[in-house]
Amino acid sequence: MLVIDEYLAVRVLVGAHPSQLDPDETLALPAYRHYRLLQRVHAPGAGQLSQLLSDADRQAIRRPHPEVLQILDPRPLLDEAAAITAAYRSAGLLVGETLAAGLVHGRQLWFGTSRNVGERLAEIAGELGIVINVAEPDS
Amino acid sequence: MEGVSSIGQDLLEERRRRRSAGDPRITPEGREILLRLTTGDRMDEFQAALDSDLEDDAGLERHSSEDA
Repeated sequence: MLVIDEYLAVRVLVGAHPSQLDPDETLALPAYRHYRLLQRVHAPGAGQLSQLLSDADRQAIRRPHPEVLQILDPRPLLDEAAAITAAYRSAGLLVGETLAAGLVHGRQLWFGTSRNVGERLAEIAGELGIVINVAEPDS
Repeated sequence: MEGVSSIGQDLLEERRRRRSAGDPRITPEGREILLRLTTGDRMDEFQAALDSDLEDDAGLERHSSEDA
């Protein structure tokens, strides 16, 4: 299983599977990263996914087909996430859960752009031996 | 044995094909918009939207490009 971010989740949902990802690996998005996408789906206003996408598109993001994208159950990760956020006082829930997922699932994380990694997450990942991979869009 | 292996390979290849095609509910129009947001000219807009949730939710640490 590969733990991915919001960018890669959207790319695999639309069938733009990054070549860097093993096509046989199950892809999983941490629950709070899914929450960030869902905020965009439900938030009113111009420019939001709620206004840009059809109902069918929104449904695919709200409840992804598990063969294409799985949402990680946060419950088994919460203790590890809490331990990380306690140890690194400035780390929040999003960072803690993502790192816990990376620890449990192969000590690696995949992002669709370096802009979505964040300095704090990268620092802690380095200390925990979690490899950060970035599959930037093909130029 | 060879036949069994071929059946398994066929199943795996079919699974790869389904997964690489993405979610069938995504429309062509939605695909275009979502690709622009995650790989194209609207990436700034998408990142800003993701980061706005961190600003609004004290439980989620800000980790946007500004602190990267």
